[in-house]
Amino acid sequence: MSKLSRIKKKMTRLFGTAIECREWRSSIVLEGIVNSWEQVVAAGNLAAGKGYKGVVNRIEVKGLPTERIRKPDWRDHHLNQRRVDVLVIGGGIIGSAIIRELAKWELSVLLVDKEGDLAMHTSSRNDGMIHPGLLPKPGSRKAYFNVRGNELYSRVTKELNVDFTRPGSFILYDQWAMKLLYPLIKLRARRNKVKDLRLIGRDELQQLEPGLAPEIRGALYIPSAGVLSPYKMTIAYAENAVANGAEVSLNTMVEAMEKKGDEITAVKTNRGKVFPRIIINAAGVFSDVIADLAGDQFFTIHPRKGEIILLDRKKGELIKAIYSRPEFNRIKGSSKGGGIIKTIEGNVLIGPDAYEQPYREDFTTNRENILALLERFLPIFPELSAKDVITYFSGIRAATYEEDFIIEKSEYVQNLIHAAGIQSPGLASAPAIAEEIEKLTLELLSGQKRVKARVGWNPVRKAIPELSKMGARSRGELIRKKPAYGEIVCRCEEISRGEVIDALQSPIPATTLDAIKRRVRAGMGRCQGEFCTPLLIKIMEEEGFDIMEITKKGNNSYLLLEETKG
Amino acid sequence: MRAIKAYDTIVIGGGPAGLAAALSAFEAGAETLMIEREKRLGGILKQCIHDGFGIIRFNQALTGPEYAGWYIEMVKKRGIPLLTKTFVTEIEQRGDGFRLSLVNSSEGLYQVISKSIVLANGCRERTARQIFIHGSRPAGVYTAGTAQYLVNILGYLPTKRCVILGSGDIGLIMARRLTLEGAKVVGVYEAKATPSGLERNIVQCLDDYDIPLKLSHTITRIIGEDRVEAVEVSRVDQTMSPLKGTEQVIECDGVILSVGLIPENELAESLGVRIDPRSGGPYVDQSFMTGIPGVFSCGNALTVSDLVDYVSETGKYAGASAASFVKDLPAQELIPIEKNEADFLYLIPQCFNINAVEQRLILYFRSRENRENVQVKVLADHQVIYQQRYQKLIPPEMKRIEIDSCPKPLNGIRDLRVEMEEGAKCES
Repeated sequence: MSKLSRIKKKMTRLFGTAIECREWRSSIVLEGIVNSWEQVVAAGNLAAGKGYKGVVNRIEVKGLPTERIRKPDWRDHHLNQRRVDVLVIGGGIIGSAIIRELAKWELSVLLVDKEGDLAMHTSSRNDGMIHPGLLPKPGSRKAYFNVRGNELYSRVTKELNVDFTRPGSFILYDQWAMKLLYPLIKLRARRNKVKDLRLIGRDELQQLEPGLAPEIRGALYIPSAGVLSPYKMTIAYAENAVANGAEVSLNTMVEAMEKKGDEITAVKTNRGKVFPRIIINAAGVFSDVIADLAGDQFFTIHPRKGEIILLDRKKGELIKAIYSRPEFNRIKGSSKGGGIIKTIEGNVLIGPDAYEQPYREDFTTNRENILALLERFLPIFPELSAKDVITYFSGIRAATYEEDFIIEKSEYVQNLIHAAGIQSPGLASAPAIAEEIEKLTLELLSGQKRVKARVGWNPVRKAIPELSKMGARSRGELIRKKPAYGEIVCRCEEISRGEVIDALQSPIPATTLDAIKRRVRAGMGRCQGEFCTPLLIKIMEEEGFDIMEITKKGNNSYLLLEETKG
Repeated sequence: MRAIKAYDTIVIGGGPAGLAAALSAFEAGAETLMIEREKRLGGILKQCIHDGFGIIRFNQALTGPEYAGWYIEMVKKRGIPLLTKTFVTEIEQRGDGFRLSLVNSSEGLYQVISKSIVLANGCRERTARQIFIHGSRPAGVYTAGTAQYLVNILGYLPTKRCVILGSGDIGLIMARRLTLEGAKVVGVYEAKATPSGLERNIVQCLDDYDIPLKLSHTITRIIGEDRVEAVEVSRVDQTMSPLKGTEQVIECDGVILSVGLIPENELAESLGVRIDPRSGGPYVDQSFMTGIPGVFSCGNALTVSDLVDYVSETGKYAGASAASFVKDLPAQELIPIEKNEADFLYLIPQCFNINAVEQRLILYFRSRENRENVQVKVLADHQVIYQQRYQKLIPPEMKRIEIDSCPKPLNGIRDLRVEMEEGAKCES
């Protein structure tokens, strides 16, 4: 029996005649109408891993409204008729890392993103963990890029001036199962080239982390696990690229592509038409949509949401590193189900969980999920409580049914490269993925033009100073030069007016309240902006914004609606 | 290197509590410094342009700026040293005093030392996420205090049609304020079965403007991507859990939250001051000294008051105590002030220094539930030293007891307790 008939048979058993399967190029296409999103995902999973390059899942759910994609709300000719060597679609960590590596070369590089800032989707909505690379299946692209990416972060964060530490990851166990599993874990670690992991007994663990619940027997310790701010990292990458000649065009949505034969000749956006030699698809949860516009959709993204909780920074003193506690009865390949992390800023982070949903931009959170996360993780550190919660949010993983990264030149479109299906550990893998895409781009271009190294390329990025972390002398000197650094506007995070102004004047300037927050953390503390929001509005006005046009996150998200009477 | 300036008492916060504290510390002869992070003194009163302030203290209903103005003038008249636009980044205990790190535009980061400090940091508002509101995160969700700043200080309306969640006083005040500015307040939704704010505010801010108050209701979901488009409200049961099947969607462009205030005690906690989870502020004795000798707490940082008069009063005594601490306050020997936890939401002070010579004792408390016809007694070594009958006790109204002349000297007593007697629990 052929692989197609085997899959068809199983589909019929599960879904009757609702689903049709056919082969297209080297992939399998699923079509039909079912009753629930769970069935769509189940069908996709069923077809995956059966020998096809990818699963193209076009099954629809009866009565389910199609997603309204968030679009920039205006059109102009900013990019009209622009010829560039490389067009990168998507301003998340992957796209931003790619343009930074490409900026080393004498190339015209343009990155577009439909949102008003970088890192608006998954890259600002994750736990900031730089995974060690133990979990991905040996031999997978995830395993390779994760371990390599993790290594590269030491250098990249130094060059780009982004805070990064390696507190290590502790996989906690309260059962003896871990001791039995340990040889298998060791084997996987060796195959994935994850170094220095070891088991830690109860006494040592209690010494390292006295706040842990006493029932925890020990931990598997992986020292290479790190933490950083994922959105700051994304912005840092892009800023360095821009400093080296790359261009970033925000609020720019790819709407169509023009092709001649098997080559893309033009890319249409709401801000004009672009003529790129090479197109790089780094569109995250929309990477399959972009692939489809190019006539090369051989995979499907099924959005997998994770909700994340942030606890007050003052509870950060209770914990030092990254903790997870696998529940052996519900382990799944897709996600290890979150943990407790001390973020780089010192907050305690809980999550993420993982569940499938039909919409790619539905960032709502739900009471049951947040309560479940708290119930599951708070007991690990008995001194943490639900009262310490300052906020929660959700992010959406760009999962494919194959559950592995797609990092390759398109098989069917000559000038297209995919960096798609990047889900966890995508952040950890980003530097390595960028390195690979850089290589693939140069290979593709080699037939067309001679690419020289950029003269004067500077790998170092100057960051906005973080005054609260400085000593008296250097802080005083900066304040003397720019008195606004001495004026605290965000009391919770101790952010000065000067830092906010820096964010508004940075290489990729903040234009919204949330964009300021992502650059300098004003409004991210325990009061969640209740004190600094009006002050930030005032500063934006003083820096030239029309006060009535100031938004939280672009488009229609205005903060003020009308002047008061009189 | 510049010489580090030394003070007897440093007051942190220039709102009503800090102003009163600085005045009384200065008048008691302490070398005093007041530190305020904003440009102007007055704290939150600056944005409270409604009246009703100072009924006890001044015997008349003043506006917030008027009330603060009286204190500010006094502080300026006395020439009390003052730093505005100055932020305290850190306090360290050093020998017999404290070292404060300050940051401002003119001096950078520098240090001052003080023998005593008064924490008058005020409070912040509980946010949407802290009460587990879900749904999306659009623009248009503001705490009542932020909305008040936007309207009264900046002069802009953040919403034209809103739902107010929570019946705290600022929420009620904002319901009226927004209505006067031409915005539509669809309703005030309160998860509890009884309102959180003062009765007079319910009448003057809601009833007078026909704004409905929906008790036992909460917002279960915020809807809208960019700007709030609607909220889903639900009835809740006695444990405040939403009841399935009672959801109702209300169109609006804004949500104003008035769901509680949290005393700001991050500096106190960094010093190791113990916080009473019930009052939200530090454990203090009758002089408003915290568990750390030399550190005093007052105003809304001590506990959230419904009347500014009490804020000023705790400030006044904390400031005076801080000044006398520097001179000759006797060593602390504390006994707890006993009370029945089922009767009292909290009681301040939580403990009593039996070495204090001062015979005055002021107690503030809230009942845990609505009670009628209650007798409250204070007993020292099992002898009643004070009693008062209340027709009605409700949690939103803080009560004050002052005992200034005791039938027996209080120093040296071994047992102090407050009791609530009789009084049936009632619905409203």
